[in-house]
Amino acid sequence: MHGSHDLPKSQPTSNPKTFPWIEPCVAVLVSGVCLMLGHTQLATTPADSFIFGALLGLIFWWGFGNRANSPGAGLIWGLGFAALVWLLIPAGLLPLVTGTQRSMSTLSGARSHFPELVAYLVLLGMPLGLTLGIFGGFRSSGVKRKFHWGRAIVVGGFAGTLSGLVFSRWMYEGEFYPLLAGLPQLNSRSEMVGFHFLVALLIGASFGLLFQTDVRGLGSSMGWGLGFSIFCWFFGPLTLFPLLSGVGVDWSADQGNALFGSLVGHIIYGLILGVIYAAIDRAWLKLFIQSDPLNREPEGPGVNVLRSLSWGALAGLAGGVAAGPVLLATGVLPKLAGFGNGFPGLKGFVIHLTVSALIGMMYGLLFRNEGSSLSVGVPWGCVFGLIWWYVGPMTLVPLLLTGVADWSANAASALLPSIIGHLLYGAATATVFLLLEHRYERWLLLDPRNSAREQRRMRPVGTPAPALWFFALAMGVLLPILLG
Amino acid sequence: MKPYFRRATIGIFAGALSSPALTYAIRNPVLALLCGIFLGALYAASLRSARSAYAENLMTGAALGIPLWGLISVVAIPVSAGQMPEWNAEGMRAHLPALVAWVLYGALFGLIYQAFNDLAAARWGAEAKASVPVPSPLTHVVILGGGFAGMKTAQCLEKEFQKNISVRITLVSETNALLFTPMLAEVAGSSLEPSHISTPLRSSLHRTEFVRGRVREIDLEKRCVLLEGMNSPDGTSEPRQISYDQVVLALGSVPNYLGMPNVERRAFNFKSLLDAIRIRNYVIEMFELADREPDASRRAPLLTFVIAGGGFAGVELAGALNDFAHGILADYPNLNRDEVRVVLVHAGDRILPELSESLGRYAQAKMEERGVQFRLNARVRDAHPGIVVLQDEEIRSETLVWTAGTTPSTVIKALNVEKDKRGAVKVDANLSVCGRPGLWALGDCAAITDAKSGRACPPTAQFALREAATLASNLAAHLAGQPSKEFHFDSMGALCVIGHQTACAELTVPFSRTRALRFSGLFAWLMWRGIYLSKLPGLERKIRVLFDWTVELFFPRDIVQTIDLK
Repeated sequence: MHGSHDLPKSQPTSNPKTFPWIEPCVAVLVSGVCLMLGHTQLATTPADSFIFGALLGLIFWWGFGNRANSPGAGLIWGLGFAALVWLLIPAGLLPLVTGTQRSMSTLSGARSHFPELVAYLVLLGMPLGLTLGIFGGFRSSGVKRKFHWGRAIVVGGFAGTLSGLVFSRWMYEGEFYPLLAGLPQLNSRSEMVGFHFLVALLIGASFGLLFQTDVRGLGSSMGWGLGFSIFCWFFGPLTLFPLLSGVGVDWSADQGNALFGSLVGHIIYGLILGVIYAAIDRAWLKLFIQSDPLNREPEGPGVNVLRSLSWGALAGLAGGVAAGPVLLATGVLPKLAGFGNGFPGLKGFVIHLTVSALIGMMYGLLFRNEGSSLSVGVPWGCVFGLIWWYVGPMTLVPLLLTGVADWSANAASALLPSIIGHLLYGAATATVFLLLEHRYERWLLLDPRNSAREQRRMRPVGTPAPALWFFALAMGVLLPILLG
Repeated sequence: MKPYFRRATIGIFAGALSSPALTYAIRNPVLALLCGIFLGALYAASLRSARSAYAENLMTGAALGIPLWGLISVVAIPVSAGQMPEWNAEGMRAHLPALVAWVLYGALFGLIYQAFNDLAAARWGAEAKASVPVPSPLTHVVILGGGFAGMKTAQCLEKEFQKNISVRITLVSETNALLFTPMLAEVAGSSLEPSHISTPLRSSLHRTEFVRGRVREIDLEKRCVLLEGMNSPDGTSEPRQISYDQVVLALGSVPNYLGMPNVERRAFNFKSLLDAIRIRNYVIEMFELADREPDASRRAPLLTFVIAGGGFAGVELAGALNDFAHGILADYPNLNRDEVRVVLVHAGDRILPELSESLGRYAQAKMEERGVQFRLNARVRDAHPGIVVLQDEEIRSETLVWTAGTTPSTVIKALNVEKDKRGAVKVDANLSVCGRPGLWALGDCAAITDAKSGRACPPTAQFALREAATLASNLAAHLAGQPSKEFHFDSMGALCVIGHQTACAELTVPFSRTRALRFSGLFAWLMWRGIYLSKLPGLERKIRVLFDWTVELFFPRDIVQTIDLK
């Protein structure tokens, strides 16, 4: 997140030839009007909603406006802001301070705030972020990575369609279309399948269009995929599809509970989309740009990958040791070792450590170019741990043990405690990986070629990674708690 | 103010100010304050400070609040109170208010930390860069020679001193790459591409300054090294002088022609990559000339290749050239297999004196089976065009390769230090030159005695690498005023390839100086390839060599001439 670079200015840097007051006015207007449209979900009057929305719009423009330098960055900052506002104000601070009945201390109290969460994300974060991001795209200040329209649409669309194939078996066997949840059943299976791939294509293409300049490696792309897919679930099955089918939106927690399987489906889809998108995009860069001797690094990718795998294995072992007690207590570890709910013994722990090392190797492979300091590496590690909660105990473990993955809210609820173990695993793995990397590089940085690479790895201030970490972690942890 | 102290101080204040939010998660206010301060200091210390990064710190703080909630509120607090954490969904949902409190703490901390950070920057200026001012005076360590000994010494010194920039390291070498000599015969035999067995010194060394140049003189009194001038494009040739505080002699050895000027003029050396390339190209040239020569008697010297010296280098080269010469015959249909002769001349009564007698005899028998001829108890006395003169025989040959003797370089000869009868610099047990503070020597140019066994260490790469590690450690200890250690190493054994998929290996039994395991044939050859491939520096080079070996299995050896021998 924080490189040694300073942001040029703390205030939005509009093109001096345009009118500097346009952006705040648009922010106020967009957020005010959009929140007013959802005043019923917020349980306020239209006027109050407009004023509240306008105030939040102004705060967002003031605090985050200059970070929204592209529609994708704006969207992520907007979603992070909306989630934070929801967690701190209506769901957190007000009930805590006022001691009202709708506090978060009971499940029903927490669930009663769910419609507000959807309203904040869909009617505040998205329109505000996208609008200021579009303005930011025209801003002349700052150094921007070059955007390629064709590459974004083709790579994104292809990755999206390819990722849609992951549900093929379930679509044909169980008529399960996670991306189309909220839509009424169409006339035939072929229509459903066609519509499924159309949605997958659209999500993929939008992913490319929005995040081409933000995504760097496979790991961060998975993180973006996670965040974007959670947003797509709020926007599609919970909002747009019911509107398209004419049944009216239902943002209640009960509806969220009913669509929880679709949320997990979206997340799995988003992760695959992120990896495939980054793989194709990186392959393009590797083949046609980075293979250029002018852009090569002192050590070739082969050496870097092998080193990252070995460090990842060691870091994963450390993460496995750190998370072991939690996973043991929550019953995930015995299940993994095939011991039901009993104590897994040495065999189970060895299996756990082996799996931890393998997942750690994956961390090394995916995130080796992401974390340059603990304040960056640990959040990425936590996101990685969260990803593995959805991929591992929620999907792969039941698939491998029973042949069926249960994505219901009840299943998520049963596995909820192990989410702590996964977050701990991710944080510990990222920390140890970073320590190993620093141990190796601390004196190599005297070599100007290595220090130049290290400088390139730092994300400059202003990139939306922090907002993504917060949005993905908050939603990834909170939604199973709220909807389970 | 040191960056970490400054950051941690800011973190402590920001953590303390944000800690009221934690009272919703940790009921004890004092504990909440301490927890807020500790986490604040930890977070701030791990952060690179940046100006005006309010949004970033706000979001990062809020994001990190979520795992902290899991770690502290869900796990640590119940455990510290002697209770089991509530490992069920309902139990976790009971901690929801604490989650809000942790997110609030993180977000508040992020904002306050950034505000304090900006205030500190305005009051005391930006945080000092990590780079430390260069201390004075610097200690300059100069390593002369880029072979196994010099390169390994530089690498070990880099590890010894790491980020200690008070020590400057310079390596001077005639070539810009480390040559992996065990595979040199395969280059001469056209099995391997020449550059695949060389590792660039500049890429392998990270903080060592590399200077390509030939050492002309070492002035021990003035403590400086004079390099020969390099011809620049404008025709000038200025010598360069490098001052040192510590100098390491790793200059290796040069061929010793035993005072035979004709041999020196006419024979090929077999020490460098260029030597191997020249031998390979010369052999191909001889085949081309022989192919258009109708007179069989005039073809004979063209197709006879004499190698002087029956040590490792000579035997491996004889085996490789024998394979190469017979292998390319298919491309020269006018030549007869019987006309190709590879003759090995050796002064002893058996080849490979470094190995046991049985293996030496096995190697000789196997090579004779494959067509190599031996002249044992014979010495090369002279060489004329088309003739190599032995003490009691003349061999008609246009090609003579000299591997029969080496001597330390001329720079070492001119050095006013104590030497042994071979001309190598005598060093004490810690590898420093006796009576010359700041002068160290190792490898082929040094006369080293093993501190335990009292035996002279052989001039091999195996010993040079271990000597380098000891020397680097002793040099670092010397600069730090600490005691040094004596050099001791028990040889691990020796391996030698004698031709197509055949080798001899003698491996010392661990912890036993007298017992050895002996292998020969295909298994020894596989061992040779496996061991030396693992020793070849750099993954990329390993892959390239492995690829070359694989290609060699399926395709004939290349006869393209790559240099002009005229």
